[in-house]
Amino acid sequence: MAKIQHVCQVVSNEKFCPKFYRLCFAAEPIRRKVRPGQFVHIRAGEGLEPFLRRPFSVSRLPAGGHGAKKHVEILYEAVGPGTRILASKKKGDVLDVLGPLGTPFRMPPQGIKQVVMIAGGIGAAPFFMLSDALKGKGYNLILLYGGRSRGHVFNMREFKRQGCKVYTATDDGSVGVRGRVSVLFDKIKTAPAATFLYACGPRPMIASVQVFARRHNIGGQVSCEETMACGLGACLGCSVLTASGYKTVCCDGPVFDIDEVEIPLP
Amino acid sequence: MNLTVKIGKAEFANPVTVASGTFGCAQRYYNLDEIKGLGAITLKTVTLHARQGNPPPRIVETPSGMVNAIGIENPGADGFIEQKLPSLREIGVPLIISILGHTDKEFEILTEKFNALEGIHALELNLSCPNLGKKTLVAQDPKSTSRVVKLVKKASRLPVIAKLSPNVTDISVIARAAQDAGADAVSLVNTFAALVIDVKRKRPVLGNSSGGLSGPAIRPIAVYMVDRAAQAVSIPIIAMGGIMTAEDALQFILAGASMVAVGTANFINPRAPLEILAGIKKYMKENKLHDIQEIVGSVRA
Ligand SMILES: Cc1cc2nc3c(=O)[nH]c(=O)nc-3n(C[C@H](O)[C@H](O)[C@H](O)COP(=O)(O)OP(=O)(O)OC[C@H]3O[C@@H](n4cnc5c(N)ncnc54)[C@H](O)[C@@H]3O)c2cc1C
Ligand SMILES: Cc1cc2nc3c(=O)[nH]c(=O)nc-3n(C[C@H](O)[C@H](O)[C@H](O)COP(=O)(O)O)c2cc1C
Ligand code: FES
Repeated sequence: MAKIQHVCQVVSNEKFCPKFYRLCFAAEPIRRKVRPGQFVHIRAGEGLEPFLRRPFSVSRLPAGGHGAKKHVEILYEAVGPGTRILASKKKGDVLDVLGPLGTPFRMPPQGIKQVVMIAGGIGAAPFFMLSDALKGKGYNLILLYGGRSRGHVFNMREFKRQGCKVYTATDDGSVGVRGRVSVLFDKIKTAPAATFLYACGPRPMIASVQVFARRHNIGGQVSCEETMACGLGACLGCSVLTASGYKTVCCDGPVFDIDEVEIPLP
Repeated sequence: MNLTVKIGKAEFANPVTVASGTFGCAQRYYNLDEIKGLGAITLKTVTLHARQGNPPPRIVETPSGMVNAIGIENPGADGFIEQKLPSLREIGVPLIISILGHTDKEFEILTEKFNALEGIHALELNLSCPNLGKKTLVAQDPKSTSRVVKLVKKASRLPVIAKLSPNVTDISVIARAAQDAGADAVSLVNTFAALVIDVKRKRPVLGNSSGGLSGPAIRPIAVYMVDRAAQAVSIPIIAMGGIMTAEDALQFILAGASMVAVGTANFINPRAPLEILAGIKKYMKENKLHDIQEIVGSVRA
């Protein structure tokens, strides 16, 4: 019934760094429509466990020959039952995928010279596709990446190839600067009118980006997370509070303007 | 093969609808041609005034189900009529509007508002609303159920369906009260009151603290309650509670349901309502049934 429901074959599913996996599946209709920041909603198991679908940002549309014109990739961390099942998928297995869903990132407004992507851990996923869309447009591209430890740090060559300057921090200092990604905010040359931020990661990180953006009056967008059921705007289960009342992360988001959302902190 | 179902003066082409609060954004995501195959669309409950709903998190997954505390977020009757109804009407599937009043007066005003509109086929009363002056819900008290059904029936030109809560000691008493008050049908079950606690934080997971359990986890209890209700009333029953497949739906029909509603399953498989309809047809063919009514309640035959 849903025109966004696709039965897809797994093309590959490999470790991307010790803690992250990259799963590639064939879904031409998704590839054709998806924009950076949108997500797919995947049924990990076949029975009733886990019961609900799991949302994942579309991470990358791989370039390359043959079938690659159909391929769509997600980047994920195995944190619980759903993602552990995903990690066991092999080439040729089928996946039931809804997508593309949600509202994508908007491109930087006129006059922007510096674009800063701020990622916490697996929050880097949508930035592969975003930086691909932004490359070669004359922006000064920067990625600030914060990971828990060495196992959460991956090879940055894909970003570097797109002309991105990359700075890394880890909580334990095992790679890059020691501390949260916010210790890297001083890499942002604060020329507010010419800078645009994109942030994706855990809530405390999004909150720190909000504080920084407000203090320096810098515009941008953040990608939010909330537990989801339908992913389609039907159940109203994934709402977050915004300046104009509750909005759904799955339909109105996951991307919101920095100032629009109020991040709930525990 | 006859699949039509009558509720009051409303006629539905087949017995499969979607449950209130579980289906939306039809235009953006669905093939409208396929949706046209549904017997009816039951919409998210509408209240007189807009409600912003509960603080997040609003849902949590549980074994074979989920607990939700959405808090009836809705744009209010006028907002719904202006913003949502026009495009829903265009789909061309009969609409069942779910209403909830916080007072008798609100139920009356809501009924009058929808009376005045074209393209609506029935009203479903969400009776899981506070019972003023008491700690219970309207649906937990036969007298209050009777009072609300009577006053809506008096005002309504549309068939009236009373939606019952499973959080009662004896569902047949409430079902009977609804029938005696003039309801054209009863629908059951709404969600089961439930609580999930985050042991790390030592706090409820949901922003609202408690919520309602739905999905396959509740199905056997829901089938039991439909069976009980079917023995107590002669008006049609719209059954729901964890229906994922045609076989699940058929259990409810055999227990006495004339119509079935697919709820939480929509979140896992948006095709579920249509697959269930196809499965019911296949079952009828295999069992050489000409009319779905032949098997309604036949578990007791
Ligand atoms: C729009 C959106 C995009 C996402 N994109 C990605 C992505 O690209 N890659 C990726 O690995 N993950 C992504 N996530 C998070 C992903 O959905 C969860 O990691 C996944 O649902 C976990 O399922 P599980 O069954 O493995 O673990 P669960 O048992 O469900 O959860 C295990 C742990 O992860 C936490 N968790 C579960 N769901 C979420 C969530 N939605 N947000 C934050 N924490 C959560 C739980 O609190 C728990 O501690 C995204 C979430 C959203 C809402
Ligand atoms: C997210 C969600 C929202 C719901 N909203 C409503 C509602 O607004 N009004 C209502 O009468 N029932 C509501 N329900 C209850 C369903 O209509 C249905 O009665 C219940 O979920 C049992 O069926 P199921 O197990 O198939 O979902 C809601 C259920 C869910 C899961
Ligand atoms: S997950 Fe259902 S509305 Fe967002």
